Amino acid sequence: MLALLRPYRGWILTLFVLGLISNAANLILPSLIGQGINLYTTHHGLPDFLLKEFLGTTILIGVLSSLQSLVQAYTSERVARDLRTELSEKVSRQSYVFLLERDPSRLLTNFTSDIDSVKLFVSQVISGLLSSVVVLVGASVLLLRLNFALGLAVLTIVPLIAVTFALVLRRVRPLFKRATGALDGLNRVIEKGIVGAALVRVLNSQKQENAKFSVANREARDVRLTIVRNFSLMIPVVTFLSNAGSMIILLLGGRFVLNSSMTLGDLAAFNSYLALLIFPIFVVGFMSNLIAQAQTSYGRVREVLDSPEPDPIALAVEPIRGHVQVRNLQFSYGEKEVLKGISFELKPGSRNAVVGPTAAGKSQLLMMLSGLLSPHSGTIRYDEEYQPAQVTQQIATVFQESALFRGTIRENIAFSPQASTQAWEKALQTAELSDFLSKLPGGLETQVSERGTTLSGGQKQRVTLARALLMDPKVLLLDDFTARLDPTTEARVRKNLVLNYPEMTILAVTQRIATIVDFDQISLMMEGRILAQGTHQELLESSPEYAQIYDSQKSTHQYE
Amino acid sequence: MNELLAPERRTLIWASCAILLTSALNLGAPAVIAHAIDGPLTRGDFQGVLQHGWLLLAMYLFALGTQYFQTLQMGTVGQRVLYRLRGQVFDKLSELPVAFFDRHQTGDLISRINNDTDKVNQFFSQSLMQFVGSFATMLGAGVFLLGLNPRLGTAALLPAVVMLVLTRLLSPWIKRRNAESLKTTGDLSAEVNESLANFKVLVAFERRDFFRRSFAEVNDKNTREAMKAGVANGVLAPVFTLCAQIGQLVVLGLGLSMVAQGQFSLGLLIGYFVYVNRFYDPMRQLAALWASFQAAGAAYERIAEVLAETNSLPIKEQTQASETPAKGRLEFREVQFGYREGQRVLQDVDFCLEVGKTYAFVGPTGGGKTTTASLMARLYDPTGGTILLDGRDLRTYSGEERSQKIGFILQEPYLFGETVGDNVESLLELERLFPEGLKTPIEGLSLGQRQVVAFLRAVLREPELLILDEATANIDTVTEGALSEILQRLPESTTQVVIAHRLNTIENADAIFFVNGGRVQLAGSMEQAVCLLRHESRTS
Repeated sequence: MLALLRPYRGWILTLFVLGLISNAANLILPSLIGQGINLYTTHHGLPDFLLKEFLGTTILIGVLSSLQSLVQAYTSERVARDLRTELSEKVSRQSYVFLLERDPSRLLTNFTSDIDSVKLFVSQVISGLLSSVVVLVGASVLLLRLNFALGLAVLTIVPLIAVTFALVLRRVRPLFKRATGALDGLNRVIEKGIVGAALVRVLNSQKQENAKFSVANREARDVRLTIVRNFSLMIPVVTFLSNAGSMIILLLGGRFVLNSSMTLGDLAAFNSYLALLIFPIFVVGFMSNLIAQAQTSYGRVREVLDSPEPDPIALAVEPIRGHVQVRNLQFSYGEKEVLKGISFELKPGSRNAVVGPTAAGKSQLLMMLSGLLSPHSGTIRYDEEYQPAQVTQQIATVFQESALFRGTIRENIAFSPQASTQAWEKALQTAELSDFLSKLPGGLETQVSERGTTLSGGQKQRVTLARALLMDPKVLLLDDFTARLDPTTEARVRKNLVLNYPEMTILAVTQRIATIVDFDQISLMMEGRILAQGTHQELLESSPEYAQIYDSQKSTHQYE
Repeated sequence: MNELLAPERRTLIWASCAILLTSALNLGAPAVIAHAIDGPLTRGDFQGVLQHGWLLLAMYLFALGTQYFQTLQMGTVGQRVLYRLRGQVFDKLSELPVAFFDRHQTGDLISRINNDTDKVNQFFSQSLMQFVGSFATMLGAGVFLLGLNPRLGTAALLPAVVMLVLTRLLSPWIKRRNAESLKTTGDLSAEVNESLANFKVLVAFERRDFFRRSFAEVNDKNTREAMKAGVANGVLAPVFTLCAQIGQLVVLGLGLSMVAQGQFSLGLLIGYFVYVNRFYDPMRQLAALWASFQAAGAAYERIAEVLAETNSLPIKEQTQASETPAKGRLEFREVQFGYREGQRVLQDVDFCLEVGKTYAFVGPTGGGKTTTASLMARLYDPTGGTILLDGRDLRTYSGEERSQKIGFILQEPYLFGETVGDNVESLLELERLFPEGLKTPIEGLSLGQRQVVAFLRAVLREPELLILDEATANIDTVTEGALSEILQRLPESTTQVVIAHRLNTIENADAIFFVNGGRVQLAGSMEQAVCLLRHESRTS
């Protein structure tokens, strides 16, 4: 964790020095009071310089500790901000598969609670711990100088206290890990409850959801209670041990006084130095809680930061023609084989379709073509040389679920405002959004919410199509794009695509044959294999399965 | 806040007793030592010193017990209160209508349930204990100061009054700064949550920079606000220290002049200083605690905001007047609706659905089909007019009754739990789709597969009114055939509402409604419906 702080050592040093000076100044005040009393007994008056010195020290302490709290707030927030930035950049470089494996709920905890613990460590622990150690060492030296034997006897409590801390912390550390894990669990249940809010209400399944939440909530509470039990044993034991110090002073010191090897005044001084010793011990005790928590949290963040990244790959500089070649693609989820050797070729500017039943592996195929998933074996090449990750700027995908971000429709279509006005017009018009937008009072600047609830299913899908088109991609991948569009709109979009983007290679995955009859090439995919390939007419003749699916959809034709 | 603490009253009282005992023992121990030094030690009586030693040991052991008890109890109270608070917020969330979630971001709500409740917890489990302890010590020392010498005592306590006034003046500002900081934390959480949920799009469109940029923005804002809050939280401590030291100075100056006048002995003055320190030391601790108290207060206000939300869809009393002779299963009477003030999504919608019949709702996207269906399932209430289910105002049904009578398959299927079996009890003949049967994990299911599960989940409940909102859009036609067979096996009295684009799902309907531009009109026949679809201009 100390490596994390290296870039901020200047600030931390400042913090340390400020704390040290104000602590030292604090030690001056009692001596000034003592001096005052002494001077009074000899001179019967309080000299002005003493008052001035006292006031001066007081103000100095005030200024220094104000500065300290400013530097503390600044430094800790800087550390937290930089760590969050580093984490966000790391996550942004990661693959989609990484995110699924990491679990988004857990990453959210990394970004929030975990980094907060680190922040608390910086703001509370560093200055508190360092100045405590200094006071501890200082007081110990004073004790030993006053009376070596007694000092040594009193200081035996220090290793005892250290052992107590070590024992408890060793037991508590895994608990902190579990506690943050429980928090991940809570996040997950809450998120599901919120995302599925509509359905929960339709099914009136609040009870089941609440039961799930209760389980997660109870788990979080119970882990924390175990931590509380451990700490509530530790703190009194440490107090007792430091109290034992004053017993040693009384008994052993008393013996020394009776032996006349020590004065009564020294005994009194020993007691007051012990009081000095105890406070920092407590600070260390409280800090140990924060340290354990921060270590666990930082470990979790570090895990993400140290996770291997996908190898950087050189992006294709030249625009591609849009030729796609897929060879012997295989993919499986655990035991289950999803794709069992898929091969096909798409010519530049051609329109292609993959049809097949639900769960045939079509969506996985698209995810591989767009570079989200990597095949377990087989190759995908664009223009015979590029891998999908090299041409992500030139291929665009419209997913089944229309993911919208909170913001305006404009921001949702262009993540960055670079495209020309003509490109905008072409994309909006092709996606059949122009009329719709012109009727919205806010037009492109209309706000949509996180779950896109202000737009209908079909409108959302058209927005995501416009998003894809605005990239002016060479290859367009459509995942069941027509599912949420009414037939009239769907037909228009299809016509617009041919008209406005004639050179774009299109690969559409779909259930509805009627929407692709005039495509250049259709592949029938079933259970992870391509059964037949050809134009609509060819397939009707050559593939009985294709003909059967087509027949089952026949009644839809008149409608479309 | 009170109701949260009410069940803990007994524990809190016991813990407070333990805290007072611990404080008393800690204040008492130095007196015993002083007594041992003044008495037996000066007399040279080691036996007496030993006796005092035993007494000390007994006191320390007793303090060990009371301190263990107080720490354990207060910590436990903190966790239990936190547990209840989180539970309350979640209960509230599950009771609020869908419209509430349209207005709030998931990440912000998560932040309220976790982060803000934790701020409240920090106060309870760490600060409250010290709060009570410090307060007790301070009070005791204050009484001593005034009792020993009222004049000097008043002077010594004067800076404390300044502190009190200053604290009162600054507290609202400190709280406001903390509230701002918590709000930006909520925004940050919302941003992360949204980006992670849509990560697929960010990766596929190579828009990772978009995530980095928008995150940097909320991150900077959050840092700025958190720094301001940190400054606000740290402002009291130095001021408190300053006041404490001025208190000492006052005692020194005034005390010495009183000694000069012979009103006070020097020995007493030295003792007086001990009490001044006993008074001001805990007060300095209180300064730090006060900030955490303000932060907890600000956090609690954010939670209270959610708790104070009222359910805008209450269950209405069933009155005689709301009872009208049953006219079919479901009736819309002059229904008006808009998601926002002034917005008109549905206008003057009137229709009646008969028992046991199937109705198709068709129309262009954005015409109001899903909205109509959402009103049928009472995800929202109409802004005008009434909806009657079996002759009774839909608003008079309890959630349980409603979900028994109405089955709704949403456009975006959402699945619970971890396996298919968590969602449906029987898989019928659709095993082909789910290799591991009911134990098939939900993760990795395709959209089509998820639609099948959602479909089964709704149908298996045998509702009286079944609404299918493009429920089979991503399912292939063969599977769809199997699903429609299941539909035919439903009791004859089931009324079905089908929203779909495919004609084969529509052609079996008993009547077709055409939904466009917020109006719902009955199409006389299939041909008319197709004609409307082809020629009516899209108004959305």
